[in-house]
Amino acid sequence: MSESGDFVLRARAIVKRFESGDSELEILHGIDLDLRAGERLALMGPSGAGKSTLLHVLGLLEHPTFGTVDLDGRDAWSLSTQERARLRNRYIGFVFQFYHLLPELDAVENVMLPAMIAQSRREFRLDRRAHLAKARDLLSNFGLAHRLKHRPAQLSGGERQRVALARALFLDPPLLIADEPTGNLDRDTGELVLDLIFRAQQERNLSLLLVTHDVRLAERCSRVLRLEAGSIVGAVSGRG
Amino acid sequence: MYRVFLSWRFLRSRRTNLIGVFGIFLAVGALILILSIMTGFLEETRISARGSLSDIIITMPPYSDSRRPRDPAPVLELLRADERVAGASAHLGWMCILTRQDERSLRILVDSQMSEIAGIKLTGIDPATEDNATEFRPSLDRAGRNDDGEIEAPRVRVANLADPFAAPPEYDASVGRPRASVIVGEKVMTYHGLRRGSFITLMTAVPDPASDSGWSAKKREFVVAGCFRSGENEIDIERVYIDRGQLARFLSGVSEDDALPEDSIHFSEVLVKLKDYERDAKVAREAFGAQLFRAGLIDESCSIRTWEEFRKALIGAIENERVLMGIMLSLILVVAGFTIFAILSMMVTEKRRDIGVLTALGAPPQGVLVLFLLIGFWDALIGALLGAVAGTWMALEIDPLEQKLSETFGVQIFNREVYMFDSIPSVVTPLAVAAIVVGAFVCTLVFAAIPAWRAANLDPVEALRNE
Repeated sequence: MSESGDFVLRARAIVKRFESGDSELEILHGIDLDLRAGERLALMGPSGAGKSTLLHVLGLLEHPTFGTVDLDGRDAWSLSTQERARLRNRYIGFVFQFYHLLPELDAVENVMLPAMIAQSRREFRLDRRAHLAKARDLLSNFGLAHRLKHRPAQLSGGERQRVALARALFLDPPLLIADEPTGNLDRDTGELVLDLIFRAQQERNLSLLLVTHDVRLAERCSRVLRLEAGSIVGAVSGRG
Repeated sequence: MYRVFLSWRFLRSRRTNLIGVFGIFLAVGALILILSIMTGFLEETRISARGSLSDIIITMPPYSDSRRPRDPAPVLELLRADERVAGASAHLGWMCILTRQDERSLRILVDSQMSEIAGIKLTGIDPATEDNATEFRPSLDRAGRNDDGEIEAPRVRVANLADPFAAPPEYDASVGRPRASVIVGEKVMTYHGLRRGSFITLMTAVPDPASDSGWSAKKREFVVAGCFRSGENEIDIERVYIDRGQLARFLSGVSEDDALPEDSIHFSEVLVKLKDYERDAKVAREAFGAQLFRAGLIDESCSIRTWEEFRKALIGAIENERVLMGIMLSLILVVAGFTIFAILSMMVTEKRRDIGVLTALGAPPQGVLVLFLLIGFWDALIGALLGAVAGTWMALEIDPLEQKLSETFGVQIFNREVYMFDSIPSVVTPLAVAAIVVGAFVCTLVFAAIPAWRAANLDPVEALRNE
């Protein structure tokens, strides 16, 4: 195995600058970050430290000004838009703070959305039964067997986040990126969702990149990186 | 897969899309209906513009210094010998003033605004050969609408169809000297309050080198043998038919029973009917011209035209009107397209976050572009198909629809008397319907492309922050 074979994600010298009028604002100052298969990495830091920006760069949603992001052994930001979209679809599962489910679709349809994007109409039709069964299984495992046909507006916050988690896991991506997944939930519901995230991560040997403000949550990760003013100022091992 | 699926879901979940669909429906339906009516109008006008015109018209200025024969017999003989010819007939046309010697008729002469009928086109024909060459015979018993707008059964408008210029039974031949008969246009009959057996006086002037002014006035009394209905307002309001020999006598100033002098005018045009107009018209016209010219029967002052060339201005004007109307009405499509643009722009703004989510889940910008284009496509598909069905149906059923609407609202929507049509003309051409539907699609997709492009270029991070 090559040196990078064990890594799900390798970021090198990530710099992100924004133009603000005549001046330039540097948000990230050359960040290096590695994530191994099955590793749980928590990214902590005060508001405005650049956590979300880093997450977006690593999640292939925002172009870095400099630096490289290797995913699946490829420099993701040197790929074409189409190839990068495909990589994002197959390789990364996202869980957002505000769930971001499509209101027009029911729970099952929301969960199957990554497969709809990945496949042509014909392919999806051929695999439809398998997709439906998988989506129902996932939702049932997350305690939503009775909510399969409900639309997001008919679900509670915790239920929505569980649907969003099922969606993120649907194509079995090796990398799960969660941006404050419990930030919009009460303590008990947040705990429930976290348990599900960690359980899924463990069962599937996923690499988890978690942005959080919650120290207790960070402690459940194997490694915690502290980001301040656009630089990593400390790394500690967690208990997870 | 997601593009078709989501576009359909987005479309169904936003009621505002119905406005766009309705706009396209209305535009396509209206375009089909109006263009069908204009096409029908054109067809009807082509038919009625023919009126008594034959396939080919050879016009000869009657008072030119030419050495052409004064008698049409050799011209007719040459033409009738051609196997493409179904019939040929000579006409003599002259402008006259019609009076009834009453105050109203005399007012015509001093009517500076020409609000009264200003003149009559007196047309001398040969009833025996006319049937083969023109629509004269059918115009004597053609069905039409009466003054109340009701359709009349075909009725004979002269006393004797076999001899239409025979004196009508209402005419008392013992009163004064015998008079020649005329058959007047239906509108001339109504306008002047004429009946079969009525007398009319025709006045005109003919070139006369012996006179000081170069002209001499002619005036003669005629008896009305009946009327005709060509179906074309212009003809029915100003034409009066007369036996060609009698007209020549009138213009020469000799009595009805006398022989025609050698130098009198016999004919001013020859009308030819072909066996197959569509096939032979152009070639035959050229051939006749060459043959007649070689035989010395026509000269440079004569013209040979097909009936379409003869009525070029009128047909061209209506065709032009149809094209102009089509162009102007296409603006409705632009308005409908703009509605789609507005609705989709609103939708893109509203769905910024969802667009961000789709991007995060792996949808490329092209996918998002197609997704929003597809929403415009569905709008166009539903609107254009429904519009095409409704427009075609209305175009085919325009007459009963118009009558129902007229009855319901108590107003006459289409005045049949104005154009002398018995029904609203409407011709649905599949090619025009297809062109309108394709036009609606193109217009919608062009307008949908702008918001779709905006959606495809949304920054996913910005979109996801849109909480």
